[in-house]
Amino acid sequence: MQLSGSSRFTPGACLRLAITGFVALLCFWLFVLPVVVVALSSVASHWSGTILPDGVSTRWFARLSSSDLDALSTSLEVGVGVAFIGTALGLWLALALEGRDRRGLGALVDAVAMMGSGVPSVVLGLAVLIAYHKRPLDLSGSAAIVVLVQLALVLPFCYRCAAAALRPELTILREAAASLGAPPRMVLVRVVLPQLVPAIRASLALGFALSLGELGATLTVYPPGFATVPIVVVGQVNRGYYLPASALSLILLAVSLAALLLIAARAPRR
Amino acid sequence: MSSLFVPDSAVRDEGGITDADLCAQFAAHAAHAKRRERKGQWHLLFILLFVLGPLVIYPLARLVMLSVTGTHGFTLHAYTAFFGNTQTRGMIGTTLGILFASASIASLLGVAIASMLFFRPFAGARLLTRFLELFVAFPSFLVAFTLIFLYGSQGSVSIGLQRLFSLDATPLDFLFGIGGVILAEVVFYAPFVVRPTLASYATLDMRLVEAARSLGAGGWMVATKVVLPLAWPGIAAGTILCFLLTLNEFGILLVLGSAHLITLPIAIYSAATVDLDLPTAAAGSVVMLLMSLSLYALYRRVNRRAGVR
Repeated sequence: MQLSGSSRFTPGACLRLAITGFVALLCFWLFVLPVVVVALSSVASHWSGTILPDGVSTRWFARLSSSDLDALSTSLEVGVGVAFIGTALGLWLALALEGRDRRGLGALVDAVAMMGSGVPSVVLGLAVLIAYHKRPLDLSGSAAIVVLVQLALVLPFCYRCAAAALRPELTILREAAASLGAPPRMVLVRVVLPQLVPAIRASLALGFALSLGELGATLTVYPPGFATVPIVVVGQVNRGYYLPASALSLILLAVSLAALLLIAARAPRR
Repeated sequence: MSSLFVPDSAVRDEGGITDADLCAQFAAHAAHAKRRERKGQWHLLFILLFVLGPLVIYPLARLVMLSVTGTHGFTLHAYTAFFGNTQTRGMIGTTLGILFASASIASLLGVAIASMLFFRPFAGARLLTRFLELFVAFPSFLVAFTLIFLYGSQGSVSIGLQRLFSLDATPLDFLFGIGGVILAEVVFYAPFVVRPTLASYATLDMRLVEAARSLGAGGWMVATKVVLPLAWPGIAAGTILCFLLTLNEFGILLVLGSAHLITLPIAIYSAATVDLDLPTAAAGSVVMLLMSLSLYALYRRVNRRAGVR
């Protein structure tokens, strides 16, 4: 696009270069620096009142207590459960709604399925707590209530992932298979699911990462003994234990980043 | 399906298809389609009742019911208790003030960064785009937490400024309050505007931009007369999404604002878990739910018009 002006050092080109540099610096400052800070502070031996940490040590990782490790395993178990159930439900919803006109029952189901992304997490957590904390269905003593509330929040993203992958070409393929006499189950297993593998992987990764980082709803409903990593980290930050908190959050970040990179080579663009 | 495909040999034996046969086949096909349509309706109803019911509909219905029922039936006592409290009087104003300040700054910044990345890509722009896509996996409370290391009274930037100007006290003391909350929300939610804006730019017909340039339009004119009108629906959808997510934010408020700043989510949370007063918390939640759901409905309308999923 820049046919002229880039080779000569006119004032306009200099200004443009300066603006570009400023934006690049701003982006780095705002978005890259936070990640660097978590990484740096978790290996700092001491960081207060200085520009850079005093020294390097791994003692914050070595000192992770058993309750920290419990939180980590709770987070991982809940995250895996939410990712798998959410992906299955999202896929089911997308297949059931595929090709339907966006009116009547179809529109209602679509709107309710996407509602989890529009409702504040604290409000949803409170609603789930009110609905399931005493009879007829009491889930308040088990991890099921945490999985339930995170499912409601993660389902819209998984549903969107699957729905975005059900393209018109795929409908043509399905109709071709069906017209050649393949029964519906065979069409699903041999034609549709193989085409959806990238979307399923993206949905698993997204569900897992979102579940690991979820705070508001989990904090409202979690039963004693089922604290997840975000809850422990926020508790430590509010009590002023910054460096142990960043060691734990670095592990959390590394796990969710690894999941995103391993499972989903590339998320579908929304 | 298979009723439509009569084997050729069978047809030849009968000496061609009569009109009556064709009509019967069409009728059978229409009946089949109708049956499938009805089956699909029942399938959707089943999902609505047994999957989405327990996950979303039943909890929210219980929440609304609890907020309007007392020991003697219908009452609005919980609402007066929640909003009549002197501590929480200015709460909705504070919440909306933070929302508008941070979401509008984040939207402007996001659109500016997206325009820069798309129209004037610099070295590392692709890497930065990928990085912003991964930002979804970064929990919001962690952003607030990292800002403490940077701008807290003992943070790097504060100490750096203090040394630079040889001050006695640290110059930055805004983090645990409205300023810090707005900064954290801008940092966290600007990427959520960048992605839809980039997607919207990607559908632009670049020949239009080049035609405008070749006819002598300057950069500003191209931006306001060609690019913005075409990309506007996508940008609007991204901006409304940013407002919705900022309104629903909780982690940043809990880490940076829980001490001095009373906002709606924090008041709901503390009514529910500290005071253990579920009806009062439910009343606050219903008000917040109404605000969120109206923004959400607006988002769906605009998004459908934009045609971007």
